[in-house]
Amino acid sequence: MTTQSLTRPVARLTFARAGRWVRKNLFSSWLNSLLTVVTFAVIAWVGFSVIRFVLVSADWTVVEANRRLLFIGRFPKAEEWRIWPALWAVMAVGGAAYGRWAPFARRDLPVIALGLLFVFAFFAEGTAALLVGVGVLLAAAAYLGGRFVARDERRAAVASRLILIAGALLLPVTVVLFTVASGVRTTLWGGLLLNIMLASIGIAGGFALGVPLALARASTMPVIRVTATTYIELVRAGPLIAWLFLARFVLPDFLPPIGPIADLHIVARAMLVLAGFTAAYVAEVVRGGLQSLPHGQEEAAQALGLSGFQTTWLIVLPQALRAVIPALVSQFISLWKDTTLVFGLSLLELLGASEAAIAQQRFIGRQAEVLLFAGFVFWLVSLTMSRLSQRIERSLGVGER
Amino acid sequence: MAAATSTPRLRFWHNRRQRRLAIQAAFLAALLLLILYSISRATRLSLGFDFLNGPAGFAISNHWLVEVDAGDPRWRVYLAGVANTVRLVIAGIILATLLGVVMGVARLSGNWLVSRVALVYVEIFRNTPLLVQIVFWYTAVLLKLPRIDAERDFNGVVYLSNRGLALPWPEPEGAILPWLVLCVAAAAAAYYVRRRRILLDERTGRSGAANRWALATFLALAAVAFAVTGLPVIVDSPTLFRPDVGAIEYRGGMVVTPEFMAMLLALVVYTGAFITEIVRGSIQALARGQTEAAMALGMTGYQRMTLIILPQALRTMIPAVTNQFLNLSKNSSLAVVIGYSELFFISGVVINNAGHAVPMFIIIISTYVTLSLLISAAMNWLNRRVQLVGRS
Repeated sequence: MTTQSLTRPVARLTFARAGRWVRKNLFSSWLNSLLTVVTFAVIAWVGFSVIRFVLVSADWTVVEANRRLLFIGRFPKAEEWRIWPALWAVMAVGGAAYGRWAPFARRDLPVIALGLLFVFAFFAEGTAALLVGVGVLLAAAAYLGGRFVARDERRAAVASRLILIAGALLLPVTVVLFTVASGVRTTLWGGLLLNIMLASIGIAGGFALGVPLALARASTMPVIRVTATTYIELVRAGPLIAWLFLARFVLPDFLPPIGPIADLHIVARAMLVLAGFTAAYVAEVVRGGLQSLPHGQEEAAQALGLSGFQTTWLIVLPQALRAVIPALVSQFISLWKDTTLVFGLSLLELLGASEAAIAQQRFIGRQAEVLLFAGFVFWLVSLTMSRLSQRIERSLGVGER
Repeated sequence: MAAATSTPRLRFWHNRRQRRLAIQAAFLAALLLLILYSISRATRLSLGFDFLNGPAGFAISNHWLVEVDAGDPRWRVYLAGVANTVRLVIAGIILATLLGVVMGVARLSGNWLVSRVALVYVEIFRNTPLLVQIVFWYTAVLLKLPRIDAERDFNGVVYLSNRGLALPWPEPEGAILPWLVLCVAAAAAAYYVRRRRILLDERTGRSGAANRWALATFLALAAVAFAVTGLPVIVDSPTLFRPDVGAIEYRGGMVVTPEFMAMLLALVVYTGAFITEIVRGSIQALARGQTEAAMALGMTGYQRMTLIILPQALRTMIPAVTNQFLNLSKNSSLAVVIGYSELFFISGVVINNAGHAVPMFIIIISTYVTLSLLISAAMNWLNRRVQLVGRS
């Protein structure tokens, strides 16, 4: 017995093998052959048109010239320094989490390569390139650190806790960093930055409100259950853009005249709406998780003498949330895409900034370039999130029965 | 203290029933306070619905079923907006379902190239915001079409320009009602023929081709009736109308505006991507034995799909697809961004002109709730039917 025979036979690419594959997968019958030829013709035509547009007929200067507008909107230049530490922190925590939980796999390569290529295409020169470079190096170092701690179980446990705490702190720290010491008012946040902030606040607020809402809907106390159910069903009945317009036209009349709340401006109101809207959907997802738990779990907890609060906090919620992680992530992906709706409130988020760029005299008629760029950015982030969710699903063993 | 218990150390919150009552009472009190506060703020606003009778002061050019002009009351213009929403939602649901089923089947095709195309379609359109897609179709594709005076036509039958798509469209003329009545009679006859063929099938064991017979009966009878009633439908072809004063426009036929086209395209392509995944999931959830058994019976690929796989997959599909239909109907409100005159856009104009935001929002949300309930009811009816058919 040699070690050779224990390994899988190496599949060598030969003409015969390739021919068999082609015949089986593309030309198994005359109908299939026809389908292949037609599909190939369509792909060739679409592919050729797209490539010709992207490389030849498109004029990407509109995106290049409006880099600032598209990424950060009207964020004042003098305050730009506030963004970099926040970006570094995000990259470092992201890198560490990636290294700790999901060691690099080959199928991640296209996404990472696209992301890096994209970032450096836009920050190719000057101090920006340097600052982004620092971020990338930080992320790489954090990744290696994460890989290192993952080898030892005790270290990994401590590191997990640290990474989670750091992750939870990212949003509050960023908000403080942007606004502290006569910082930047939220009305000046814009571009991709605004989308990211809206989505993050929507996620955080939606989760914080949605879990109690789900528990309230599952409650045995009728007053609480009915109120929660009414809220959830009402919010889900209307389209998000209607609720956003409500925040624009109606909410100002109902805000209590207490200090800064009295004239909460439109960005903050949009954040409130996004959080409240996401909460209703998160509540429904979490309710599914609660219902999937066998009743015995709760009974066992009671038999052990745990209080109602302890039962919920230590037994029910951890298992229910774990079961619905994939559904939660897809909820957050849809929130990420929905942040474009604040464009309807004339805010300068990425889509609004794109429209502003097209409105410039020298770039009239360049809609396709800017919108393809904006669409690509949203797509890349959504795709990364959905890949992440698949990873988490697999590592938690959710969905394997 | 609310509870008088024998042991002095026990307080009322130690009694489960009383504790729950107290919590609910406190919650209700807080809720009432919030509502009272809202009402106190709202008294400064106008809450009546009388403004709906006032003249709208604006008209919409793009109407369906409900014709309006600027002198009409506001409720009528709003109704025209609702009709536009309904038109968009119905067309969107039908086309998105077709696209989703085709792509879902393609996703599982044995043909590698075809399944890859379906995968790329899903990954691109599902992960990009719908609003970006709407604005893209509208401003980067449809408004970039040649101008109307460039006369890009297809043999003078179909016109396509940045003012929309003009198609020949059937128009009723003359004895349309008798013909429709005769068509209903033809349908009844076709139904009878179908029953007879099914009975024949059951008696002899040979395929009665019941559906084909029924279809042929219906078409033949309807055609005869069409001739007898004196050809009550004519095809109205669009033409380019060049007035001496003013702008060129399409006359006649069916003119699909770029706004409607952009909305429909975006909604169908976006929702279709989600339906594709649902169709794929429910087909994959079927036991593999179903396909194998159908193959063992010597069925062709088409027969396997239409007679064995899809009818069974439909059952698991319907709840998830219903959800997508509801999403589509709510997403139709995004048309406000490109100015397609559906109900939300019209409400925005009314609020801008006349105020009354609070009652207007009550109406908007009620309309969407009604729309959702109608869609859910229709789908629940379908669901029940499919389930029964499956078990019989």
